[in-house]
Amino acid sequence: MRALCWEGVGKLAVRDVPEPKIRAEGDLIVRVRASSVCGSDLHLINGYLPAMRQGDILGHEFMGEVVETGPGVRQHKVGDRVVVGSVVACGGCWYCRTEQYSLCDNSNPQPVFTEKLWGHSPAGILGYSHAAGGYAGSHAEYIRVPFGDVGAFGVPEGVPDDSVVFASDAMPTGWMAADFCGLTGGEVVAVWGAGGVGQMAARSAQLLGAERVIMIDRFPDRLATAAERVGVETINYADTDVLEALRELTGGRGPDACIEAVGMESHDVGPTYAYDRVKQSARLQTDRPTSVRQAIMACRKGGTVSIVGVYAGLVDKFPLGAAMNKALVLRMGQMHAQRYIPMLLDRLAAGEIDPGYLATHPISLEEGARGYELFEKKQDGCLRSVLHP
Amino acid sequence: MTNNGTRWALLGVGAATAVGVGRVVARRRRRHQPDREDGWYVVRRAVTVDRPRDAVIGFWTDRERLDRALGEWASVDQLDDRRWRCVARDPAGGGTEWRAEITVDEPGALRWRVEDTSTPQEGRIVLTDAPQGRGTEIRAELRYRSGPLRRLFGLVGGDEPDLALRDTLRRVKALVECGQVIDTRRDPSGRSPAQERATDRMREKLMTGGRA
Repeated sequence: MRALCWEGVGKLAVRDVPEPKIRAEGDLIVRVRASSVCGSDLHLINGYLPAMRQGDILGHEFMGEVVETGPGVRQHKVGDRVVVGSVVACGGCWYCRTEQYSLCDNSNPQPVFTEKLWGHSPAGILGYSHAAGGYAGSHAEYIRVPFGDVGAFGVPEGVPDDSVVFASDAMPTGWMAADFCGLTGGEVVAVWGAGGVGQMAARSAQLLGAERVIMIDRFPDRLATAAERVGVETINYADTDVLEALRELTGGRGPDACIEAVGMESHDVGPTYAYDRVKQSARLQTDRPTSVRQAIMACRKGGTVSIVGVYAGLVDKFPLGAAMNKALVLRMGQMHAQRYIPMLLDRLAAGEIDPGYLATHPISLEEGARGYELFEKKQDGCLRSVLHP
Repeated sequence: MTNNGTRWALLGVGAATAVGVGRVVARRRRRHQPDREDGWYVVRRAVTVDRPRDAVIGFWTDRERLDRALGEWASVDQLDDRRWRCVARDPAGGGTEWRAEITVDEPGALRWRVEDTSTPQEGRIVLTDAPQGRGTEIRAELRYRSGPLRRLFGLVGGDEPDLALRDTLRRVKALVECGQVIDTRRDPSGRSPAQERATDRMREKLMTGGRA
């Protein structure tokens, strides 16, 4: 079969690779119908997480059709249209039982790397480097889905592939970001990053009761899309002092909750940003925490900072004093896909959230490398390239 | 300062740095060494399994489930009421075999002994209830004999008994909780056979001794 493989830092190529096989009772083989690029892939492609091997198949946000089931699969049959959470969860450990699926104890077969880096090993993630288990990813014609009864979900009739695909990752990540904020109704929420996850977080915050959502980014077209599709207020940090603007927009209080949906390669303007870039390039810090710093500084006293942008290692100049003295609540994590996907599919079917507009560039698998280039450089108004093998 | 003076100053700073670094390295090594008792190396490792104690014991006494779970990497034969013989093979496919005699002292407590090996070992396992209804803690104590050189080579070769114990506990936990030990070694990739072998060696390192 054909698959989009990582060939070295910044290099991708489509290769002929063997087809996946059923390996355990609970496995599914899914024919991929739609597989989206994701901002977190860029950290892998660009070598910020040094756990990629030449030939690894990328991709973790996808949907498709079941073509083979292991003998232990009960929930799915051949021909079912399914969406699969990118986080692999066994369904049988304490974390899975308490719906903290991204912390699953048993789904990362290669736990040594993350145990050394983070103290404990969280769940494996499909197509997400050898730190996350070394699973083959979804930018391919077929993919093996372990624990199929836990990780795959039947898709409602009538919802198009290019909408459902985002129920795999962007929607649950956005929902979890808003869920972390503990909204009770009437809050002002600020969201850093107007990409797919940020826009889903903004919509989720509205559905969970936020009265106003303010979105921060530097790309006018993304901000315009968010304003039009989600109904948010916007701040372009390239020409506005974000902290001052947020203060004024909230009557001097600051946002009740700040969602960070950017991650370790965040951008900014000015000398601090230049300093961060130099340090990251020299690998003196692994991550650039620009937007997390802003979120902590902007958040109102006693508010919540919710981080769903991906960070890998160590950061510099983390404003712990601000977080401590303002008594902030910091919540963060990889999303618990399996907890949120069924509810999100219901909301999708009911039309409460429609992420279909994120798929600005539906393309073939063969054009995968070009899809990532468009996405990374934000060319041609690209919000997401969605690969159709 | 004269040239000679500079040289002596640099030498002094160099020597002081070397001694300082050496002390830090030695202290770190000591902290990671297993305890020594009566000529044995002793390590204690534990894992929490999210099942009540009876279910953990039940897993080991349900012969059919056990055989299915152990499958390709181990077989267990019952010798009498309390004694079992376990033969485990290297799951990576090497010819290594590991024979242990297991004695069940009481429900939730067992001992094992391995003698026909270059590093004789014995160990015991006690099951205790984890707090807050979080299942069962499997607490293992492993004693093994090994010369310092053999231990060093064992560490380098990745077959140190402590690493094997940690692997075994992780496997047992996975088998009890979800019925399989997940493995991505034969997942598709765009690698050549030589690249795949190199990747498998790296996978082995990332698998060995890791804990859930």
